Amino acid sequence: MKRKAILAAASALAMVATGAMAQETLKIGALVTMSGAGASWGNGMKRAAELAAEDVNAAGGLEVGGTSYQVEIIAYDDSYKANEAVTAANRLVFEDKVKYIIGTVGSAPILAIQPITEENGVITMTLGFTAQALGADKQYTFRPNPTTAEVAQPQIDWIVRTQDVKTVGALFPKDETGEAIAKDLAGAYEQAGATLTATEFFERDRVDFIPLLTRIIAQGVDAIELDGNSPVTAGQIVQQARDLGFEGVIIRTGGPATQEIVNVAGEAATEGMFVHSAFDPGLASAKAYEERYVETYNEPMNGFSPFFYDGTKMLFQAMQDAGTVEDTEAVKTAYENISDYEGILGTMNWTGGERYGIAHQLDSPFYIARVTGGQEEIVARCTSTGCE
Amino acid sequence: MSFLIAQSLINGVILGTLYLLMAIGFTLAFGVMRIVNFAHGEFYMIGAFCALIGVTWLGLPYPVTLALTIVFAILMGAVVERLVFRPFRNDELSGMIASLGLAMILQHGALILFGPDPQAFPAMVSGVFKWGALIVPKSRALALGIGLVILLIFYLFLMHTRHGRALRALVQDQEVAAVFGVRLEIMYPLGLGLGIALAAVAGGLMAPLFGVSPFIGATPLLKAFIVVILGGLGSIPGAALAAILLGLIESFTSSFVSASAADIVTFALVIGVLLVRPAGLLGRAEA
Repeated sequence: MKRKAILAAASALAMVATGAMAQETLKIGALVTMSGAGASWGNGMKRAAELAAEDVNAAGGLEVGGTSYQVEIIAYDDSYKANEAVTAANRLVFEDKVKYIIGTVGSAPILAIQPITEENGVITMTLGFTAQALGADKQYTFRPNPTTAEVAQPQIDWIVRTQDVKTVGALFPKDETGEAIAKDLAGAYEQAGATLTATEFFERDRVDFIPLLTRIIAQGVDAIELDGNSPVTAGQIVQQARDLGFEGVIIRTGGPATQEIVNVAGEAATEGMFVHSAFDPGLASAKAYEERYVETYNEPMNGFSPFFYDGTKMLFQAMQDAGTVEDTEAVKTAYENISDYEGILGTMNWTGGERYGIAHQLDSPFYIARVTGGQEEIVARCTSTGCE
Repeated sequence: MSFLIAQSLINGVILGTLYLLMAIGFTLAFGVMRIVNFAHGEFYMIGAFCALIGVTWLGLPYPVTLALTIVFAILMGAVVERLVFRPFRNDELSGMIASLGLAMILQHGALILFGPDPQAFPAMVSGVFKWGALIVPKSRALALGIGLVILLIFYLFLMHTRHGRALRALVQDQEVAAVFGVRLEIMYPLGLGLGIALAAVAGGLMAPLFGVSPFIGATPLLKAFIVVILGGLGSIPGAALAAILLGLIESFTSSFVSASAADIVTFALVIGVLLVRPAGLLGRAEA
């Protein structure tokens, strides 16, 4: 009897062991910025992928075509630099043999790695704001977050209308992202009936904005726009503009970054600032994700993180729909075919066919918030057609 | 227009004074040790973290924190001199490479300890001083004021104390200084420690203005390097002249032309000065 029991236990153990051995590993790259000014975005993206992986791993792995995969995230830092991104992309694609990359954060890095990833059929999910990131010739690149091009117009229309803004000054980093955003914003303000009168470009690692702000403020602008700057840089601009006695409106059109801006500039300097928000605290799923993020990483959540969580979860679904993790062409098609996906931020659909020539841009609702006491307060709800 | 000129002048002088704090420490360390200390920027970073720890973690008053930062930096300088630089005392090239290694160790040490994200530093003062249209942010006025006081104390120490005279003698001629009884075993660590302390206190002063992260040392190091090359390596009056000049050039070109033009003009000036006066504005040519 005793012997039988031991035998049963042993065979059960053996079954568990073979079960575990049948489980394979699915490697996903996270090629993001983890150091320097863009680190808060990069960490937000990497952690989104980690949390999404944690979900499927905790449920026993990702079931695709009868095989169960444990998802492993391999992260490399590109320091927001194109050359370092290329090195990391080579490593991910040719040494680690990944077929999916979460990243990059920046525009120049995604343009730099696309020759490698597109050629090898590696699916990338970028945050980069440049319009050139997406295109009919870039079949494997997706963008899960709305960019300035999607959100700027409705938001700027609303602010110009309600805050009586006529002239706007802005500082942009001197690179692909900065140039693209400066062009988009100038057009958007023009259309809303205001002018972007003073623009300045600067090197991304700059910390002293007093000379540039002196020039902008001397031109008597009604508002300062922060779009295109990393959260920390935006915070420094806010602090230094208020230091110089600027009392006008401060606007952050794109890129959720309120928490970091408040951390750097302080509550007093940010009071009354208008910010873009992708986040409705009234939405239980969004709130729950934020709480989980803060609890896991002990840091405030970057606003882009939920988009990449949804984007990664959608990618997992695409793999399941396609029934393969190896054939990225099939996964890509399944990814494109997902519609009305219920994510933590609301209902998600692909858009961008008209603007980019390929529908690889995720569409989601967004909000305009006013910063009061360091916290966002939603003052208008927007879709791509307008804000109320 | 006159507003912009006056405002640029004020911005430039403030900037120049801050560069001066960095550059004097750098040039002193070179003058005494004959080592181009590429880790100088990292001591700026360490000073900023010391200030952050003192003010936000320990809740100490800002002036106390700065004083502790100076003491800590002098001690650290002495340790670094003993452990890293002493073996390379008469070997400029190896000393320079050792300082590069030290810079990497310090930066990555900070990265491991504090993480890559920039940390916010609470504002010490807020508001502005106004004269008509002219504006000086109180935060910058505070940094400028403390910086000037520290520079003055340092100047008095260098000119009117026994150790100060010994340091100056050492900068001028090491062998003759040794013959006249300057105790090298004390003066080397002291010289490097003071140089490092000036960088650290600059970091502590800048932290409320520019924030704190492990990567903040690179820009001030570059500025100190430019100032010291312009002024003449080892020359303290030269550094003072070049720092104010650099601050004014940056401020005026940024305000009147553009930020990129400021970098172009600065480096064009460095090349120009090196071509005409290879030893710098007030530097002595090597014998």
